[in-house]
Amino acid sequence: MRSRLSVIIWIFLIGWSSALRAQSFKTESGNVTFLSKAPMNEFTGKSSKLNGLIDLEKNLLDFYVDLNTLKTGIGLRDSHMRDNYLETKKYPFAEFTGKLESIPTMVVGESRPVVAKGVFKIHGVQKEISVKGTIKMLSANELLLDASFPILLGDFKIEIPSVVFYELAEEQLVTIQANLKK
Amino acid sequence: MKRYFAVAVALLLSLPAFSQLERKLANANQEVELTFHAPRHINLLTVEPLEKRGLHFAIMHTFGTVDGGAQNLWGLDNGANIQLSFEYGFSQRFSLGIARQSRDKVYNLYGRYHLLKQTENNNMPLSLSVMGGAGVNTSNYDFLQNEAPNFSERTSYALQLMLARKFSDKFSLQVSPMLAYFVDPRQIYFIEGDQNLYLALGFSGKYKVSKRASLTAQWIPNLNSDLRNNLGVGIDLEAGGHVFQMYFVTSQFLNEQYLLAGGNGVPGEEFRLGFNVNRIFATGRKRAARE
Repeated sequence: MRSRLSVIIWIFLIGWSSALRAQSFKTESGNVTFLSKAPMNEFTGKSSKLNGLIDLEKNLLDFYVDLNTLKTGIGLRDSHMRDNYLETKKYPFAEFTGKLESIPTMVVGESRPVVAKGVFKIHGVQKEISVKGTIKMLSANELLLDASFPILLGDFKIEIPSVVFYELAEEQLVTIQANLKK
Repeated sequence: MKRYFAVAVALLLSLPAFSQLERKLANANQEVELTFHAPRHINLLTVEPLEKRGLHFAIMHTFGTVDGGAQNLWGLDNGANIQLSFEYGFSQRFSLGIARQSRDKVYNLYGRYHLLKQTENNNMPLSLSVMGGAGVNTSNYDFLQNEAPNFSERTSYALQLMLARKFSDKFSLQVSPMLAYFVDPRQIYFIEGDQNLYLALGFSGKYKVSKRASLTAQWIPNLNSDLRNNLGVGIDLEAGGHVFQMYFVTSQFLNEQYLLAGGNGVPGEEFRLGFNVNRIFATGRKRAARE
């Protein structure tokens, strides 16, 4: 009886100690920018509500942003973007889940170039993408991630408004910057 | 042993999870947007707010009655009543506007305050806004000599509540109890009524037929006068920052007081073609972007 109990306690302790050793970093306030560079009109949609997870031990990257938090600086344009093009009521999130091609050896104060491969999802459509970026280890408990990648709205069945005064580019450059903590 | 094993698994599950993040909305009480396409809907104001520092410019026209047929190009030959208005958002909830209607050269100062906003999760099922307005007729009545109305006799006032719900992506409905008061409702004014006080209930409906177009309707039954009720049907078209509203309506009037006191034609033969252009500008945009 006592030995069974001690087994459980051991399992629990081992589990917890591995949790403490784990290389799992998270944020709920990363920055994400969608840059639309049309010939006549350039504007950005910004959010500072990027949720992210980097687990260097399990090699898991997981990011999402609530597209309702995306702001372009013009309220009406935001509403139209949410209502007509991104359809955020049906598809509220832009998501990326993937892994690093190889896990870099991190040294505090140094940055490493990384390539992530995974699935990007927006407007209910998924697509395999590869993203280049850098990870800098700010301290033992803190990572700084910078990455950017282009997406084509057509790939995600996001219709480009034809008769509009704010021209929207087919190619959007997505840039993320996030400070992730253990 | 099995039981202990189950307890152990449960304890392990209580450890920090390393799987994907749980998807959560940033704001669970997300406010409903675009209940209507614009702050105006045919002739009535809506619960649709302006953003802070947003400027709404509207040009509204109504033409003559369509019963003249092709000879008068269905009323377009008969002079239009035009209202120009500017409304500025001082906050997400409060805006002030000024409008000028060409009939009786009425300047109207009005404000809207948004008390409640419907949320996506239905914690708040309705939007509620209040509007108040004061107008002055600036026509020249010098020919009446001593009988000419003084300033106070030229004024009129409006008060309305706007209660709206976006029932679905397609359908929205607003009910607006309205009140108009004329200090001195003279016959020489462009109004049909001779009462001081007018009470009415405005109904505004929107049914979206495509991403950028909706069918629209308004009905304003009078509650304390024998005047005919206002009826309007139309279409709203969104084109970028503009909302174009085209409609047939029984009244030529464009501000709240005159809509209630002005009288209406018979729906059908006495419909008038109406046309609004709404444009919303973002002012102080550079500052907003830096914030």
